[in-house]
Amino acid sequence: MCSKLAILIAAVAAALSAQETPLDPHNSVQINLPPDAPLTLVSENLGESHVSPRGSAVVLDLDVALTLHNSSPNRVRGVTLLVTAQEVTPGGKASVAVPSLDVAPGLNFPVRINLRLLRPSQMGAGPLVRVNLDGVLFQDLSFYGPNRLDSRRSMTAWELEAQRDRKYFKSILASRGIEGLKQAVLESLNRQAERPRLDVQVIRGHAVASSALPEHSAQFAFLRFPDSPVDPLEGYAQISGNEAREPRIEVQNRSPKPVRYVEIGWIVKDSQGRQYMAASVPNADAELFLPPGRTGKVLQDTSLRFSRGSDKISIAGITGFVSQVEFADGKVWIPNRESLANAQLLGILAPSPEEQRLTDVYRKKGPKALVDELAKF
Amino acid sequence: MTHPGQTILALYAGEDLGWFRRLRTERHLASCSACRAEVATFSAAREELAGMSDLPAIPWSRLAAEMKANIRLGLAAGECVRPPQSLAAFAWLSGGRGFAAFASVAALLVAGLYLQRPAPPPAPLAARQDAVLRATANGIELNQGGQTLSLLHVRAGDVTYSAGAQGSIRARYVDSDTGNVTINNVYVQ
Repeated sequence: MCSKLAILIAAVAAALSAQETPLDPHNSVQINLPPDAPLTLVSENLGESHVSPRGSAVVLDLDVALTLHNSSPNRVRGVTLLVTAQEVTPGGKASVAVPSLDVAPGLNFPVRINLRLLRPSQMGAGPLVRVNLDGVLFQDLSFYGPNRLDSRRSMTAWELEAQRDRKYFKSILASRGIEGLKQAVLESLNRQAERPRLDVQVIRGHAVASSALPEHSAQFAFLRFPDSPVDPLEGYAQISGNEAREPRIEVQNRSPKPVRYVEIGWIVKDSQGRQYMAASVPNADAELFLPPGRTGKVLQDTSLRFSRGSDKISIAGITGFVSQVEFADGKVWIPNRESLANAQLLGILAPSPEEQRLTDVYRKKGPKALVDELAKF
Repeated sequence: MTHPGQTILALYAGEDLGWFRRLRTERHLASCSACRAEVATFSAAREELAGMSDLPAIPWSRLAAEMKANIRLGLAAGECVRPPQSLAAFAWLSGGRGFAAFASVAALLVAGLYLQRPAPPPAPLAARQDAVLRATANGIELNQGGQTLSLLHVRAGDVTYSAGAQGSIRARYVDSDTGNVTINNVYVQ
């Protein structure tokens, strides 16, 4: 009788210990903002954040609401935070970026962190999660931060896209009035709804094709933009069934300035001729330096697998286009809207963060709110 | 004065040091008689070893021919002295015994062939153990070693996922609480 009772108590104790435990607000999450940072932490709320054991690891469900204060003299356009439970194994690191901001000096603004991270249960003392500021982008495109995630370039590109797309909607408002603006926004919402989407799997360092189908080397077809500072010359990827791997593309700098980053947009076509945005392919070499006229290679040791639900997508063709270029002086180039429209890419690519935000304002608050939002910039 | 180690001095004696180390060692030797003596010892030892390696040449082809001839001679002599054998010597193998012996040999052969059969190549290690990030309509999942964990399940209605060939997946959505576009980036490593 006593032994049965002991077993029951042990089982109940084990079940209780395996349950979710709320995070201790005092020492679970550490927010690190450098003393000279242009942002200060006003408040943090861990909400429903909790930790639960899973084998030899713990799963951290973060539901953190931060309020940050712009203590700089400039308007903040974007913020990137690096969220780390542990650095080495997959699932331990993530980032949260908030582009398309417009925070005046002296104002507060919210940043939400909704993530799930993993960390080994046998780790040393200290906070379970560290949140570090990776970068802040200002209205004049100046930047503050350690930039570990290359967030300067990402946020600059997003800001340029935001300027481009606000200009587009403003020009429609000026030329065709509010009815024209409504039509343009509805077209954008339709594109967003009808954009073909795929389930994508990303496998790094995958040197051998896992598909049983024979593998062949497929050549990229390229879409070229007249104002692009970098031209794609030729490129290949290994294709096997629904798997594409090791994209390698030769590019040439045709601008008068040295280039330090090139990103290729990668589109795959299925056997029925439908096109999907597959991935972006940045240059793998962090030290890329491409003087004017010189050629270089954009390549990644990665495999991508495509499916729609449980149906594998058979890859019938691959297309590439230069989607982003960063010059050695830190300036960034992105394709203009006309080029994207002419190449019929608007229906394939995701909208920019700003276009997504503006159409969301229209959907939730109506055309008047959108006009007011455009007038802020 | 800091003296170079024995290894450095030995490498110097054998002229196996890089130019920079050689220069540094030479400078030290110019003012250190003890180390000069060590180097001299190493040099003498090298000369002795070089002398030992000078073995007399061995006529390998002649030795091989002699060994083959001796083997043939032995076999021929064996044939000469062996008494003639009749089939009666194998009479015990007739009937059931013979069948059992044959069956045993056949079983041995089959077992050998089975154990040595060409096995299908094992699945690539990478394919079995690589961490896989997957973006689906339900969020971002991490799969490793057959275990799947949902890393990101955005409660917002319209989420745009995009893969980075450098090993990441982004989820972009408009946060319903703040109205801000929020981009979560999950890294495979």
